[in-house]
Amino acid sequence: MRSPKSLLIIALFGGTLLSAWLTHGTGVVRDDPERNIAIPADLTVPLQVQAAYNNTTMFFRYRWPAQKPGIFHDVLRYQDGEWIVEGKAVPGSQPDGLHEDRAAMMLDDGSVPEFGRYGGYVTIGDGLAGLTDEAPEEVTKYLPQTRNRLGAWDDKADDAKLAAQREAGYFLDLWHWRGGRSNPLGEADDQSVADERGGDAGKGAYSTNWDKDLNQPKVMFVSGHDTLKWDDIKAGNVTQDNTYALIPAATVPYDQNAGWQNGDVIPRRILTPGEGSRGNIGVVGEGRWTDGYWDVTLSRALDTGSPADDKILKDQGIYQVAFAIHRNATGGRWHYVSLPENLGLGRSGGITATPFQGTNPTWGDEWADVTLFYPGQVTWPMLNNANAHAGAEYIQRGVPVAFRHSPEQLANYGIEQEFKPQIKRQWLLTLLAGILLIAAFGFALNATLSTRKGA
Amino acid sequence: MAAYHVVMVHFPIALWLVAGLAIFIRAVSDGPVAQTFDRALPTLLVGGLVFGAVAWLLGLSVWPWPTLSATPMGRNHMLLASWSWAYFALLTLLRLRHGTAIWQGLNRLIMAGLAGIGVVFVGITGTLGGHLVGNYTEVGQVLRLLGWEIYSTFYVPNLMLAVIVAVSVVMVVLGVLGRNAAQRTS
Repeated sequence: MRSPKSLLIIALFGGTLLSAWLTHGTGVVRDDPERNIAIPADLTVPLQVQAAYNNTTMFFRYRWPAQKPGIFHDVLRYQDGEWIVEGKAVPGSQPDGLHEDRAAMMLDDGSVPEFGRYGGYVTIGDGLAGLTDEAPEEVTKYLPQTRNRLGAWDDKADDAKLAAQREAGYFLDLWHWRGGRSNPLGEADDQSVADERGGDAGKGAYSTNWDKDLNQPKVMFVSGHDTLKWDDIKAGNVTQDNTYALIPAATVPYDQNAGWQNGDVIPRRILTPGEGSRGNIGVVGEGRWTDGYWDVTLSRALDTGSPADDKILKDQGIYQVAFAIHRNATGGRWHYVSLPENLGLGRSGGITATPFQGTNPTWGDEWADVTLFYPGQVTWPMLNNANAHAGAEYIQRGVPVAFRHSPEQLANYGIEQEFKPQIKRQWLLTLLAGILLIAAFGFALNATLSTRKGA
Repeated sequence: MAAYHVVMVHFPIALWLVAGLAIFIRAVSDGPVAQTFDRALPTLLVGGLVFGAVAWLLGLSVWPWPTLSATPMGRNHMLLASWSWAYFALLTLLRLRHGTAIWQGLNRLIMAGLAGIGVVFVGITGTLGGHLVGNYTEVGQVLRLLGWEIYSTFYVPNLMLAVIVAVSVVMVVLGVLGRNAAQRTS
């Protein structure tokens, strides 16, 4: 090598390429609560599932990791004579560790065929609460054809059409276990998704512990004012072995003269057993967090007698399921979801439910492993828009999401959608900067090679 | 246009990879086979540029620009394709302007190194194109292990963009200084 300039030029070029490689993907993605953006540290979470059934009842067992158990949703904290609400929803993790852990499963019998191919994506219309461009009113999950136009959250089909859809089975059954608002009662919330995510007929297991007329809580713990302390809750010192939920046996009417002191806490939710179709799903044994894992078993009648609320399950049937969990004090869309799986009752599927005789299944060591992923902000209208999603034409052809995408890819894609204009701009600048660098390198090398030629 | 793009990309890939091979052989040998490869090199490089430009333009018509620029893999493919073309334009320029002088002394090792980088660029471009149409290879896994999740858009932060611009300016200045020095000594 005769010219030190050539050496320097090559070193500069190589060093810049290396630096670009080492710094790529940084500088854009960051939490932005103003835009409802909070990216979790882990983009995927493993979920294990087992399923079994007897002549009357379906059982699902779920196991997933969580650093600590989210057994509180929101609470009332006593401070200087007032009750302050703690645990209001925020983008991402609630800073005080409030907001319950949850496990949810959407279930279909083939009546919503897109669900079997694309899972929960079909329920993410425009305007959903928690999206950066959320609607001015709270909009929950809904199925595409419950709207007159794709994704038009405010253009719902008329009541007669919605009723006919429901009659025809165009809804998703939703089993919704809540670590704070249902588990202490040994229940899960039986819900569905159609024109909205709502509860089945009947009454849910939780209500708000606040008397608006008297401007005070409705109930408190039998065990007195100092049952729960704010510092203990924040420190994560309250476990499932403590009294922590306002279940009927632990509750008496609120007494304002009970000796309340600053830092005393009462849960903001009163728990009473669900009624009607909404109370169909029970917890077998106890949904329990141990050594970093939740282990929850749910059961429900194969035939609940409510075909307009629930998907009726039959021996040898094939169904579609998709799972989700909330952990790390998150709510709303800050969950982890799965791609759809087939569930076979006595038939092989992605998840095979095993028939058994007796009251409760004897679980073996075989689990179906499901990868849950952070879905970001990917809506069904966007996925069907050929200008926004290159795979839109494949959706029209009915190609399942799993054919082209893995959970890991989808997590990255979901995050990129949250920063779409910023990343597009940065990518374009990177492309142009790279060409500039190559052009400058070419010019410099050409000039210094000329030096040698002429020397 | 997708099918035409897929057909057309084989030409620049083949021409550039053979050009890379020719440069490697010529860099390590002065024998008759190496000399023959070198004589073919301008044709290979220019042909690669022409077919590469056609394939690049056809690629732009596979999807509308909003779609292409909204898809991480589409963005990555376009970025690497653009860089590959620019990079081989550089190699072509060097070979056409300097002729056989590029094989003098240790210059040949520089050429071999440059060709290696070009082959990597083209290889990654082709790999990403394969992923776009559903033909996966383990190259994607290798890149993932090296730190790039290929389903994420490749971009650098603003500070790195500034560094690239600054380095580009420095290289141009070094080039001008080198050329002036050569003119003074000639």
